[in-house]
Amino acid sequence: MRRIGPALLLVFLPALLIPNPGWAATDVTVSELLQDPAAFEGRTMSVVGELVGDYGFRRDGWAWSQLNGDSYATAPLLEGGALSGSNAGIGIRAPAHVIRALDPPGDYHHRGPLVRATGTWRYHDEDRGGETYLDVTSIEVLRSGAELSEGLNPVVAGVGAFLVVIALWLGYRSRKRSTG
Amino acid sequence: MLIRPTAEDLRLIGCNLGRVLVVVAGTGLVPLAWALVAGESAPAASFLVMIGAFGTLGFALMLRPPHTDQLEWSHGMVVVGLTWLIVPALGAIPLVLSGHYGSFIDPYFDAMSGLTTTGLTLIQDLDHLATSLNFWRHLLHFLGGQGIVIAVLSVFAGGGAMTLYYGEARDDRILPSVRSTARFIWLVSAVHAVVGITALGVVGRFVLGFRPGRAVFHSVTIFMAAFDTGGFAPQSTSLAYYHSGVFEAASAVLMVAGALSFGLHFALWRGGRKVGTNLEVRTILATFLGTLLLTMGGLAGAGIYQSLSGLSRQGFFQVLSAHTGTGFATVPTAELASWGGLAFAGMAIAMALGGMGSSTAGGVKSLRVGLTVKALSAQVRQILLPEGAVISTRYSHHGWRQLNPGLVQAVMGVSLLYVALYLLGAGAGLIYQLPLQSALFESVSAGANVGLSVGITEPSMPVFLKLTYLFQMWAGRLEFVAVFSLIGFMFALARGK
Repeated sequence: MRRIGPALLLVFLPALLIPNPGWAATDVTVSELLQDPAAFEGRTMSVVGELVGDYGFRRDGWAWSQLNGDSYATAPLLEGGALSGSNAGIGIRAPAHVIRALDPPGDYHHRGPLVRATGTWRYHDEDRGGETYLDVTSIEVLRSGAELSEGLNPVVAGVGAFLVVIALWLGYRSRKRSTG
Repeated sequence: MLIRPTAEDLRLIGCNLGRVLVVVAGTGLVPLAWALVAGESAPAASFLVMIGAFGTLGFALMLRPPHTDQLEWSHGMVVVGLTWLIVPALGAIPLVLSGHYGSFIDPYFDAMSGLTTTGLTLIQDLDHLATSLNFWRHLLHFLGGQGIVIAVLSVFAGGGAMTLYYGEARDDRILPSVRSTARFIWLVSAVHAVVGITALGVVGRFVLGFRPGRAVFHSVTIFMAAFDTGGFAPQSTSLAYYHSGVFEAASAVLMVAGALSFGLHFALWRGGRKVGTNLEVRTILATFLGTLLLTMGGLAGAGIYQSLSGLSRQGFFQVLSAHTGTGFATVPTAELASWGGLAFAGMAIAMALGGMGSSTAGGVKSLRVGLTVKALSAQVRQILLPEGAVISTRYSHHGWRQLNPGLVQAVMGVSLLYVALYLLGAGAGLIYQLPLQSALFESVSAGANVGLSVGITEPSMPVFLKLTYLFQMWAGRLEFVAVFSLIGFMFALARGK
C-alpha cells in the first residue's frame, strides 16, 4: 500500500509537467478584471468574450484586439438583443498566427467570434509603458463569428425622402421670395 | 422695463438661425455618403430624415426674410444660444433611430456632448455601432469645435456677423473682417486635417497593422476628436484600444494644436517671435507643469505605477487630455476613479482650467487665469507700496495691453461663473449620494467640456443628473453670455411690453 503513492506519482508526474495553456487558469470575467485590475496581476486566467473592432497585426509577430465580456457578446442588438449598458472590454495580445485563424472581429456588419482566451493578466506592464492587457497564449473558439444583417425600415426611408422634398420646395420658395 | 421683441427681431433671428440649420443640413450629406459607401442602409435612411428635418426647419425660418440684415448683439447671442440647442436636437435623429439608446434624452445628451466637444457618452454597445453613425458623432465634434456659426460666416456673413462670432465664445478677431477670420480658422483646420489624418493613418496601417479601410476610419475619427479636443472615440476603450505610444503621441500633438487659440496659430504661422512673452502661453505652460507634477506626485506616492515609463506615459497623457479638454482615456474608468489625493486634485484642476481662449478647448481658459493672477499680484503690490502710488500693469497677448479694472471685473466674473457651474453639477451629484470626489470630477468634466469619466455618466444615471450635465456642457461651451442672453430674450418675449 505504501508503494502505491510513489508509483501513482511516477505515473502522473510527466502529465503534470506537460505545458498546458489551460492549466491552472481560473475563469475570470471581464467585469471582474475592470473592477479591480490590480488584484489579478500576473495571474493565469481564462476570459470568455467576443473579439471586436480590429485585429492589429504588428511587425513584432503579435496581434492586438479587444475582448468584450458584455451581454452584446452573446446577444447583439441586430439579432434582437436588449440594451444593457455600455460595453465592457479589455485589450488582448496574442501571437499573430493564433488570431489569423479567427473569423472577422465584431462590428456593425459582424458578430465577432466568441472565444475563451487563456493567458496572463499584465497590469501596468513595465515593458509597455504601463499598459494593462491579457497576454494570450491560446484561444478556444466557443462560437464562430457571423455576418449580421441590418433591417432597412421603409417608413424611415420614406419619411426621410418626404422631408427632403419638403425642404427643397421650401428652399425654392424662400429663394424666390428673397430675389423677388 | 423689458421691451418685447418685435416681429422684425424675430424675423432677423429666425432667418439667421435658418441659415445655420441649412448649412448643417448640407453637412449631413457627408455621413449620408459614408453610409451609402459602407453599405449601411439603415443609417443612410436615418441621415436622410435628419437632413430633411434640418432643411425643412431651416428654409421655413427663412421664408419671411427681415427688412434689414443688420444683427444687433442681442440677436446674435440669441441665434447662437438657440443654434446650440436645436442642432443637437435634430442632429440626434440618426442616433435615436440607431437603436443604441434607451431614451430620447440619451442621444440628445450625446449630440450635445459631441457638439460642445465634451466627449461624455451614454451610447450602448458602441463597439457594434455603424461606422457612418460613429463618423457623425465625431463630425459633431468638428462642427462644434470649429464653431457652427463660423461655418455659416465663411459662406454668407451679413451685417453684424461679429455678434455671432463673439456669441460662440471667441474673442480674437485675427484678420480685419469676420469672414476672413472665419476662413483663416478653416484654413488652419484643413492643414491640420491633412497632416493629422495622414499621420494617424500611417501609424494605424504600418505600426498598428490595421486593414487600410479601418486605418482611415480610425485616423479620421480620432483626428476630429483630438484636434477639436472632443474625446469621443470609435471604440469603447477610448485611446487604450490602440496600445501604442506612437499613436498616443500623434494624438497628443493634435490635442495640443486644438487647445491653442487660433490667434496663436496665426502668430505662429507668421514666425511667432513674440509668442514667448504671451501671457496665455506662459500661463498654460505653468498650469500644465503644475498639474502634471501634482498628478505624477500623487500617482507615485500611491504606488499606482511601479515603473517610471508607466508613470510618465500614462500620467502625462491623462493630464494632457484633461488640460486640453480632450477627454481621451488610456486607463479604464474604474481605475481613474481610484486616483485619489494629489492625483485627483491635479486632474480636476487641469480640467477646470482648460485650454486657451478662442480655441476648441473648454474650461476657465488660460488667459483668464493669467489675468486673474496678474490682477491679484498688482493688488498685493498696491498694498505694499506707499499710499497714493499708482501701479500700471501690462500684459502681452498679441501685442502689449493695459490691464484695466473693467477687464479684471469681466474676467473674474466669468471665472466665478465657471466655479458656480462646477459646484452646480457636483451638488446635483450629491443629491444622488455620490461620493463628493466623484461628483466633483464628473461635474468639472461636463462643465469644462472635457469628457473624462469616473463612471457616473452611464445610461442608467438619473434623468435629473443627465439634464444637469446637459446644461453644464451647453453653458460651459458658450461661456454663459449667449445663454443669459437667450434666457433674457425668452423672458422679454413672455413678459415684455
